[in-house]
Amino acid sequence: MMGISDSTSPIAPAIDARFKPVSFLRRHSREIGLPLIVVLMTMVFSVSSDVFLSAPNFRNIGVSAAALAAVSFGQTFAILTAGLDLSVGSTVALVSIVASLMMRSYGIPAGLLAALATGAAVGLVNGVVITRFKVFPFIATLAMMSVVSGMALSLSGGVAVTGVPAAFGDLAYQLVLGIPVPVLMAAAVLVTAFLVLRYTRLGRRIYAVGGNEEAARLSGIQVGRIKVAAYVMSGVCASVGSIILTARVASGQPSLGATLPLESVAAVVLGGISLFGGRGSIVGVAFGVLFISILSNGLNLMNVPSYTQMMLVGAALILAVALDQTFGGGRAGRRS
Amino acid sequence: MNSSAPELVTKTAGGAQPSTVVALSQVSKQYPGVRALRDVSLDLRRGEVHALIGENGAGKSTLIRVLSGDVAPDAGGVLIDGTPVAFDSPLDARRHGIVTIFQELMIVPEFSVAENIFLGNEPRAFGCLYLRSEAERRTRQVLETLVKGSGMRPAQRAGDLSTAQKQLVEIARALVFRASVIIMDEPTAALSEGEAASLRRLILRLRSEGVAILFVSHRLDEVMEIADRVTVLRGGEHIATLDAKSITRTDELIGLMIGRPITELFPPRNDKIGEVVLRAAGLTRAGAFEDVSFTVRAGEVVGFAGLVGAGRTETMRGLFGAEQLDRGQLAKRGIALDVRSPRDAIAAGIAYLPEDRKEQGLVLSMSGIENIAMASLDDYCIAGVLSWRSLRAIARAAAQQLQFRGQLEAPAATASGGNQQKLVIAKWALTGADILIFDEPTRGIDVGAKAEVYRLIHQLASEGAAIIVVSSELPELINLCHRIYTMSGGRIRDEVAQSDFSEHRILEGAFAAHLGAVSGTSAETRP
Repeated sequence: MMGISDSTSPIAPAIDARFKPVSFLRRHSREIGLPLIVVLMTMVFSVSSDVFLSAPNFRNIGVSAAALAAVSFGQTFAILTAGLDLSVGSTVALVSIVASLMMRSYGIPAGLLAALATGAAVGLVNGVVITRFKVFPFIATLAMMSVVSGMALSLSGGVAVTGVPAAFGDLAYQLVLGIPVPVLMAAAVLVTAFLVLRYTRLGRRIYAVGGNEEAARLSGIQVGRIKVAAYVMSGVCASVGSIILTARVASGQPSLGATLPLESVAAVVLGGISLFGGRGSIVGVAFGVLFISILSNGLNLMNVPSYTQMMLVGAALILAVALDQTFGGGRAGRRS
Repeated sequence: MNSSAPELVTKTAGGAQPSTVVALSQVSKQYPGVRALRDVSLDLRRGEVHALIGENGAGKSTLIRVLSGDVAPDAGGVLIDGTPVAFDSPLDARRHGIVTIFQELMIVPEFSVAENIFLGNEPRAFGCLYLRSEAERRTRQVLETLVKGSGMRPAQRAGDLSTAQKQLVEIARALVFRASVIIMDEPTAALSEGEAASLRRLILRLRSEGVAILFVSHRLDEVMEIADRVTVLRGGEHIATLDAKSITRTDELIGLMIGRPITELFPPRNDKIGEVVLRAAGLTRAGAFEDVSFTVRAGEVVGFAGLVGAGRTETMRGLFGAEQLDRGQLAKRGIALDVRSPRDAIAAGIAYLPEDRKEQGLVLSMSGIENIAMASLDDYCIAGVLSWRSLRAIARAAAQQLQFRGQLEAPAATASGGNQQKLVIAKWALTGADILIFDEPTRGIDVGAKAEVYRLIHQLASEGAAIIVVSSELPELINLCHRIYTMSGGRIRDEVAQSDFSEHRILEGAFAAHLGAVSGTSAETRP
């Protein structure tokens, strides 16, 4: 190999291994901070409500968190490339309609396949519009949100698609080893996303493109393809979220998932993924999802109206970013 | 005026000179872990141009920040006309007649030229009404005395101005403040050669009006052209203050800046030169470079000299496929190459180490290991799945060979400039490239790291790689290269063999395009 010769000179002993608690805490403040808040929140709700700390309620939290989790894990891919996917909500709606129609006529497996294909197709269009036509992700996916939503409404005629096989609807409430199937599905997405991001060439290139697009390009990385792949991942994850939600309501709903764009971005940002791309871990996103889901479950049990909850989720998002900018060295903001 | 004899002032008590406007007296400043300034004294005299030079980290910017009231020194102080003063803010320093023009220009783009000049100092009626016509009238006055034909109108939007014009706005602002001292931090770094020359003329004009000017520059030819005195800092300490007339060669200044003769920094040249590896013929991209042809042999280090904007970086980016070529052929060992993207170039064994490490060379948020592996990631993947184990092992070995000192697992942002450059070198060495293009390989890194980069370049060459070095530092090219091409105005003007190396010959080529246009500006090519 042409390269560096092997004329090594003696090297000072590696100083890498030294553990520095202060800098460790500083660097990982987000990774430690959010789980801590989630635990604290759980404790507060356990005291204030006698129903909160129970297996049925935890299953309840799990099922309601599962769809948001799947969508947020997909959103993570888009945001890691310094992009954004606002079309996840209407993708969920379109997938719900397409999957229900297919299931009604051709059975559950065909419906599931169609669901994943639909999500991937929306992601592909997003990615191509963003990379080939150089439309900003914000605008591209905002526009696609409208396009896809329109498709869902016209396909369904604006009303719910009923007649979904009963076995599919039951999926949402089945337990495997005491764990609801939707939770297992979300966990599977989490594990897959984690593995892809950490252990595949694609995953590392997503970080590289988001961290410094020009450096990535000059390193021979085909930036456009990586971005398209990220949006396809987002679309596929959104369709998993849609399958979970569709099973829960046992019908195709053209208005499903309207709150998901905000909630998924909130979960991702709360979870410590930089909006400027290239930084953060999917595990953090899982805690972001838990935060939002436990918050709304606890507030429900305390009889806080859902309109008030919407205000609280929005405020939590602003608070998280503001805290980060002020104390966290601006992980979401400045590039260091 | 200057004292005529060459002087070497190591400690100047502030206010000793009758014509001293402002002086720093034994100033020290400590930052956590760094002694930025130690016992530094300096005096600025009425009507002098005083150059401040030193390596990065020598303490130049800290000194400027003390003088401009931005930081308070731990010990020592600032004296104005012999009286100690303590600035509590940059505004305070400005009130005392010291105006600093930083590299990042303080211009509000949406404001007019006049509004920018009078920012915070607006002519007012009844204490609140902004007198627009008065501001514009005085602006016109200042602009006319400053430079005739600057092409600026007082009501023009400042955001539309060129960098050079924005600098004029800042200088005009200083004059409106009746500054007795103007400090300029690398004022010519972002200017074209023509603009820099007219800025230098302006500086000399200000000097004749009695203003004291302290300016920081890395361009030693420029320092020798206009400075009356030169102060050298190294490692936060005052090394020397010299009469500019006593200096004959830039090498002397470099020697003072780095603390040893410059030749010691460079390894001997590789003497095993082989066949022609890279042949470029007629490379052209409209508006950037034209008809650029050159060759590089195995084991050879070929330099590209020229001024900023001469088209050297653009040529290399075109050759690497980072930008499209309009015309031209590339051949490697006689076989034609079709390079349309960096990916193609890497496949052909070409590596490009960009001039801006942070913006183009590294993903600062990722670890050193991943940066090292970035251009050769395929080598550690089986069916798209990454083997962290082999990646770590190879990256560690490469880093060790390059004597990378820093934490490989930590984000690249945490490494020093020199260590960041080693990450970039390791990254490209691992691609197995045998044509390596170094664009300003030692910009912004300290002397020790520079010597190591030179050693690595030498090592790669002696293993048979063909190497191109683009550099704005002449001593670097002269001591490192086997051959030097000079570019100017997007074209190759000269090819100089090692036996003919001289600053004079190279500068002639570098200024070729300008000499054609502006005849008789021989001041720029000093004998």
